[in-house]
Amino acid sequence: MNLLASWRRQGYDRTLLALVAVIVYLFPVYWMVATSIKSPPAIFASPPQVIPEHPTLSAYREAIFDNSAVIRAMRNSAIIAVGTTILTLILAAPAAYALARIRPRGSGLFTLLLLIGQLLPGIVVAGPLFVLFSRIDLINSFPALIIADGTVTLPFAVIVLRPFFLSIPRELESAAMVDGSTRFGAFFRIVLPLIRPGLITVAALSFLIAWGEFIFALSLNLNDNIAPVTVAMNKFVGQYGTEWDKMMAVATTVAIPIVAIFIALQRFIVGGLTTGATKE
Amino acid sequence: MAITFTGVERRGRVGNRSGAVVRRRAGAYLFLLPALAYLAATMLYPVYSNLRMSVYDVNVGTFLAGNAPFIGLDNYRFLFDDPAFWKALRLSLAFTAGSLAFQFSIGFLLALLFSQPFPGSSFLRSLLLLGWLLPTIVSGSIYRWMLDGDYGVINYALRTIGLIDGTRYWLIDPGTALAGTIIANIWVGIPFNMLLILAGLHQIPPTLYEAASIDGATPWRRFWSITLPLMRPVALSVVLLGLIYTFKVFDLIYVMTRGGPVDATTVLPIYTYQLTFQFFLFGKGAAAATVLLVGLLGVAVAYLWFSRREEVAA
Repeated sequence: MNLLASWRRQGYDRTLLALVAVIVYLFPVYWMVATSIKSPPAIFASPPQVIPEHPTLSAYREAIFDNSAVIRAMRNSAIIAVGTTILTLILAAPAAYALARIRPRGSGLFTLLLLIGQLLPGIVVAGPLFVLFSRIDLINSFPALIIADGTVTLPFAVIVLRPFFLSIPRELESAAMVDGSTRFGAFFRIVLPLIRPGLITVAALSFLIAWGEFIFALSLNLNDNIAPVTVAMNKFVGQYGTEWDKMMAVATTVAIPIVAIFIALQRFIVGGLTTGATKE
Repeated sequence: MAITFTGVERRGRVGNRSGAVVRRRAGAYLFLLPALAYLAATMLYPVYSNLRMSVYDVNVGTFLAGNAPFIGLDNYRFLFDDPAFWKALRLSLAFTAGSLAFQFSIGFLLALLFSQPFPGSSFLRSLLLLGWLLPTIVSGSIYRWMLDGDYGVINYALRTIGLIDGTRYWLIDPGTALAGTIIANIWVGIPFNMLLILAGLHQIPPTLYEAASIDGATPWRRFWSITLPLMRPVALSVVLLGLIYTFKVFDLIYVMTRGGPVDATTVLPIYTYQLTFQFFLFGKGAAAATVLLVGLLGVAVAYLWFSRREEVAA
C-alpha cells in the first residue's frame, strides 16, 4: 500500500500512462517493421500475428537488394537531401544573422516573406516552378529539385536560427572587429562556431524534410534516373498491389535514415522543433 | 511530414543612425541578399506567375508556344461553374474539420499528461514526434495497409471490439475513403498539436494552481477555471495554424487514394494538381491555386490578427 503511494508520488503512474500512449501511438511504425519480416502466409493470417512467426528477410532481398531501382532512388534521395541541406545552411545562416543583429531596412518584409513561405501549398509553387524550370532548361535535374525543396526548408531554418544568433553576446563580434576583422570574418570565425547546435538542428531538419519530400519530386521531374525514393515508392503502390511485405520493406528502408538521424540528433531536433514552434 | 513554425517576433526598431550604422547596414544587405533573391525567385515569382497564368488561356499548346491569349476571368468562371470544384472544396473542408477536431483533442489530452514532470517524460514525449517526422509516403503506405479491407489490422481491431461486423473496404468504398485519409492525417498531426499546446500549458504560472489548491479547488475545478480559460488564445492559434497546414495537405491523400475512388477524396490541392499536371490546363490550374492561396491567406491574416490582439491584451 505504502509502496503504491510512493510510486504514485514519484510520478510513475504517469510514466505508465505515457508509456501506454506511446506504445499505442507508435503501433503503426511497429506494424510496418513487423509486416516487412513476415512471410506471405503470415501476412494474411487471421487473427493477425502481432509477433511475426518465422520471420524472414526475403521481402528485403527481393524488393531492395535485388532491385537496382530502389538502390538508385535511395542514392538520388541522398543527393537531393544533402544538396538541400547545404543550400539551406548557406542561405539561412547569413540571413538569420542579419535579421538578428543588423536588422536592415526591409527586415519586416523579409519576415513576412518567411511567413508566406510557410503557408504556401507545394502545389501552388510547383506549377509556376515547372513553367520556369522548363523555360531555363532545368527541369528533370537534381538542382531543380534541390532549389524547390529549399522553398520549404529555408523559411523554417531562418526562424530556428535567429534566436541562436540573438543569444550570442554582441561584444564578441565587436572585439573581433576592433582587432581588425571584418564583419564577414567575425561572422565566419567567431559567430558560426558558437551557434553550432543551431546549425546541426537546421541541417538535421532540412535533411529530414528533403528526404521525405514528395510533391516537387512528383511534379518537377519525369526522369526515373534522378527520381528520389519517395516517388519510386509511390510507383510500387500500383506495382506491388497486395504484396504488403515488400511494400513495408521499402517503407522501412525509407524510414531508416530518418529514424537513425532522429535517434542520433534527438536532442537537437526536439529542441529545434520546440523552440521553433513556441517562439513568440 | 510538415514542419511548421509560428515564429512571429516583433521587436522595437533601433533608433539612431550614425554614418557608421548606415555603412554597416549596407553590409547587412550582403548577408540578407542571397536568401532574399532566392525567396523572390522561388516564392514571389510563383505567386505572381499563378496570378498571371490564371487570366491567360495557358494549355499544353499555348504553353510551349508561349502565345496564350488573355481571357480575363474565364478560368475562374470555369472553376465556379465546375461541380467538381465545389465538391473538392467541400471535401477539403470536411477533411480539415475532421482532422483538426481529433488532432486537437487528442493532442490536448497528451499535452495535459506531459505537462506534469514524471520519470522518463522527455524521452517518451520525443518518441511521439517520430510519427510527425516520418516521410508522408511512409505513413501513407502504412495506413493503406492497416486500412486494407480483407487483412487490415484496423478492421480486425474494430471487429474484435464489436464496432463493425464483416469487412469494411475503407479506401475502396467512396463512402469511407475520406474517413480513411482523415484517420491517417490525425495520426500525423497529433505530435504537432501536442507540442504547441504543451508550450502553452507551460506558460500558465504554476502559482495560480498552487493558490487554487490552497483554496481547496479540486483538480477538475482547477482545469475548468484556470487551464481552459487561460488556454483559449493558444488553442485559437493552434486551430488556425492547423487549419492552414491541414487545408493544404496533398501528399498523404495522393499516396493513399490518388484522390479516388473516382473523386471521393479529390480535395482542393489534388483538384489543382490534376488540372495542372494531368490535364495540362495550366491557366485553370493556376486559377484553382489562386483560390486555394487566397483562402489560406485569409486564415493567416486571422491568425496574425488574433496573435496581435493577444499580445496587446497580455
